[in-house]
Amino acid sequence: MLELKNVWIRYGKNVAVRKLTLTVNKGDFVTILGANGAGKSSTLNAISGLVKIKRGEIHFKGQKINGLKPGAIAARGIIQIPEGRKLFPLMSVMENLEMGAYLCKDTKRVRDSLEKVLTLFPVLKEKLGGKARELSGGQQQMLAIARGLMAIPELLMFDEPSLGLSPLLRQQLAEKIKEVSREGVTIVLVEQNARLGLMLATYGYVMENGQLVLQGKTSDLMQDEGVRKAYLGV
Amino acid sequence: MPPAGIWIDGLVQSCIYMTMAFGMVLVFSILGILNWTHGQFYMLGAFVVYYAVTAAGVPFPLSLLISGVIVGALGMVVEKLVIERLTGPGYGLLAVTAATMALIFFFEGAAGMAFGLMAKGMATTLPGVLDMGSFSISYQKIAVIIFTLVIMVAMYIVLNRTKVGKAIRATAQQPDAASLYGVNVGWVSLIVMGIGCSLAAMAGGIMGPVQSVDPFMGRIPMIMSLLAIVIGGLGSLTGAIVGGIILGLLNSVIAYKISYFSEVALFLLVIVILLIRPQGLFGAAPK
Ligand SMILES: Nc1ncnc2c1ncn2[C@@H]1O[C@H](COP(=O)(O)OP(=O)(O)OP(=O)(O)O)[C@@H](O)[C@H]1O
Ligand SMILES: [Mg+2]
Repeated sequence: MLELKNVWIRYGKNVAVRKLTLTVNKGDFVTILGANGAGKSSTLNAISGLVKIKRGEIHFKGQKINGLKPGAIAARGIIQIPEGRKLFPLMSVMENLEMGAYLCKDTKRVRDSLEKVLTLFPVLKEKLGGKARELSGGQQQMLAIARGLMAIPELLMFDEPSLGLSPLLRQQLAEKIKEVSREGVTIVLVEQNARLGLMLATYGYVMENGQLVLQGKTSDLMQDEGVRKAYLGV
Repeated sequence: MPPAGIWIDGLVQSCIYMTMAFGMVLVFSILGILNWTHGQFYMLGAFVVYYAVTAAGVPFPLSLLISGVIVGALGMVVEKLVIERLTGPGYGLLAVTAATMALIFFFEGAAGMAFGLMAKGMATTLPGVLDMGSFSISYQKIAVIIFTLVIMVAMYIVLNRTKVGKAIRATAQQPDAASLYGVNVGWVSLIVMGIGCSLAAMAGGIMGPVQSVDPFMGRIPMIMSLLAIVIGGLGSLTGAIVGGIILGLLNSVIAYKISYFSEVALFLLVIVILLIRPQGLFGAAPK
């Protein structure tokens, strides 16, 4: 469904990602692991069209999408839940959800997905009128996911959703992400918390300094000596 | 206590500064730049109204709308042809600042060539005064105040209740997330520039019959609305409104108390406000 072919990303002279090739199939749950600055966010931002790629191609459902505007890419069903949540802090919870469905013209569909999203995240129901910035960290992450789901994604990309959450909240978050995956949404999960990524996903890519160094089934990666040392601390 | 007339004159000025400042802050919140030629859109708006009323006999309220549309469209052209090309990766703030400053002289010169340098007086479009016993207000001034109220309520509704307005607010708060969900930030920039310039034009237009119309009339309101923005806190729409009100009233009252050097006193007062609260009344505290 998603294919990156020989992708290079550069900021000025600095190469952030080089020669990246990866594939995500429909219904997959893929994780991308890597240390600080490995190029994970850059990769997601390139797929979303926020960052231009210097070389290579990105295809989605057989069509080239690199070069399209972020909105056009979102319209095709690729939705990113960005690093640091990036909620609209002064807008209400409800308005944040509405913005998630910005591209959807069908009001009935918007109402349906609102209902679905609020069933998945009942905490948000009582907070609809409050401003996003008044929510707790955990609730903000839930809202970020809920806003993403409002867009009715086919491919949902998470950028470090567990950042700053307590272990308990991280557990809740993992449950929610699993539920979304079970609904049939294809998922790419970027995590620094490798344990979480490997536990949830079925296939993993490991990036170092902008390059792909390892890939495989998560069950195999968990047994890999290098991965265990570098990312799991065992 | 200054007489009521002084306060009313102050309030009329407040209305203009507020409308101007609101548009500038709206543009700033999306484009991240101060449009230095904002005052010239005020001036052009006044000219459109002047000619619409005197030469074409268009009714005053309709001519205000026409000036909003024409000058708003001109603002969009400036955004597309000048501002958009000079912003973005690789461009500093200097290029676009210099360009919008250059436009001040371009528009003033063009207006001077097209309409002449002489100030044009315009007959009152709403003659008569409202007698309030101890004081009276001209209908023309009441019109300015009502017009401003209507504009502000309309802006509130647009920004909070419409899809475009929500896209504008979302872009101002979190541009990356807004574009991730399909907001076309280039299009939003164009819209806010159109709205901002159209507000400036209508403010100039409604003041046409109160003052006189000339190519340089945009300078003082521009400086005043900049001050209003600084007092209110750069980036805050509420700040622009409150700053505008404070400045208009202060200006009028100070001028009444000390006719000499009233500007000096006003600017000193603004400096004192900023010494006490450098981020302005509604601005976020510097980190
Ligand atoms: N906007 C930018 N301008 C310049 N350099 C950037 C920019 N964004 C990222 N970089 C650089 O590109 C490299 C990859 O960054 P990226 O944010 O993609 O890494 P990451 O894997 O997401 O890291 P983290 O785990 O810290 O989020 C880093 O060296 C970073 O400094
Ligand atoms: Mg990152």
